Amino acid sequence: MDDTSQINRLKNGDKNALYALYDKYSGALYGVVLRMCRDKELSEDLLQEIFVTIWEKIDQFDPDKGKFYTWAYRIARNKTLNALRKTDPLIQKEDMGVYNSIEQEESGTNYEALNGVIKKLEVHHQKVIELVYFKGYTHREAHKLMGVPLGTFKSYVRQALIQLRANYPLTLLFLSICLDVFDHG
Amino acid sequence: MDRKTILEKGLLLNYLLGELNAKDERLIESALQQDKVLRQEFQKLESDFERIALENAIAPPQQVKRSLEKVLNKERDNTDIPVKPLNTPGAFNPARLLVAASLAAIFALTSFWFYNQWQTAEENIRIAREEKEQLQESLQKLSEEMQKVNTMYAQLNDKDVIPLLLKGNTLAPEARAIAFVNHKSKSVVVNPKALPALSEEETYQMWADVDGEMISMGLVPTDQELVALTYIDRAESLNITIEPKGGSDHPTVERLISNAYL
Repeated sequence: MDDTSQINRLKNGDKNALYALYDKYSGALYGVVLRMCRDKELSEDLLQEIFVTIWEKIDQFDPDKGKFYTWAYRIARNKTLNALRKTDPLIQKEDMGVYNSIEQEESGTNYEALNGVIKKLEVHHQKVIELVYFKGYTHREAHKLMGVPLGTFKSYVRQALIQLRANYPLTLLFLSICLDVFDHG
Repeated sequence: MDRKTILEKGLLLNYLLGELNAKDERLIESALQQDKVLRQEFQKLESDFERIALENAIAPPQQVKRSLEKVLNKERDNTDIPVKPLNTPGAFNPARLLVAASLAAIFALTSFWFYNQWQTAEENIRIAREEKEQLQESLQKLSEEMQKVNTMYAQLNDKDVIPLLLKGNTLAPEARAIAFVNHKSKSVVVNPKALPALSEEETYQMWADVDGEMISMGLVPTDQELVALTYIDRAESLNITIEPKGGSDHPTVERLISNAYL
């Protein structure tokens, strides 16, 4: 499960290392990007661009500062938010009810729905994680959307993180990751 | 920044999400380097979110990977050329298409307008050229006529011109004609306006009497102001007869209406 060797190979210009990381993380990143922009075509372009950036900027990744996935997530989030700012102001409206491209209606797949351990959280904790992680809202934007004061929102975030921790027993954790890699890899 | 503040403010999550400004980011990074407990906390947070992300992964279409491979292979072939940025959301951006269509429409409309203007200008030039030609024609005609009149006038006004009044006899008592004879330039001009109009089958003809013989000087149509006739040397008199249309070789003396001696 360790990415270190692949990252070292990637830093040496090994494309296969990038493809291996793609196989492992593209689903997770695509899930985030697609939920953020709700546009399948745009999400596919962004995903490709994210991995091209990873390829070009891997030298800037410092494993001492954090995990590879965290770094890749930041790239994905920034690129998606920038693309959304450029493309259409309708996307990411505050009431979250207006989108100009709702792929899920066409394909019948509900991209919005969250799965896994997050479903075990209380609804408002789920919402908190969804807004800040899968929708890319800052705390200041997200608390307004939820209609609670910023302080309360931050408390929700802390509680949600504690609940997440509690819901991830170590064994289940490995099992879920293995299943996921099996499914999407 | 100490561990307590960072944890209480939830800054580790902000750092994880990449939301912090450069200054705060550096502060958190330095705190993480120095504080093992904080580092462990952050690692747990990273793991939690990675798990959530993996649990909510959506398999992207296969073509994305193929496209990525294509881009990277192209990059290897052209190492100097940077990879094309993919900020643009797809090739068929409707807004771009709309802009392109609008520009094309504006171009087409202006082209059509210019073409129309050009055609109108061409037509105007053609009309102007035609008018100019007509005017030139008229001018030439007028010039010719004026020259004619001038010549006549000069002939009439010459000091050597002798005007002769030809009065009608009993056959045509109302008839009058004036002949302008110039012996020097040997010309004869007649003003026939006062001669009574004839039927279409008849015409006036003038004759010169030379030693008793009548020599035709020409026909005298009454619809002209001045009629130039042939000057006959040694003519003793001028005579006007009424002849059949087209004139005669010999005068019809019975129908002589006027004569004058020179």
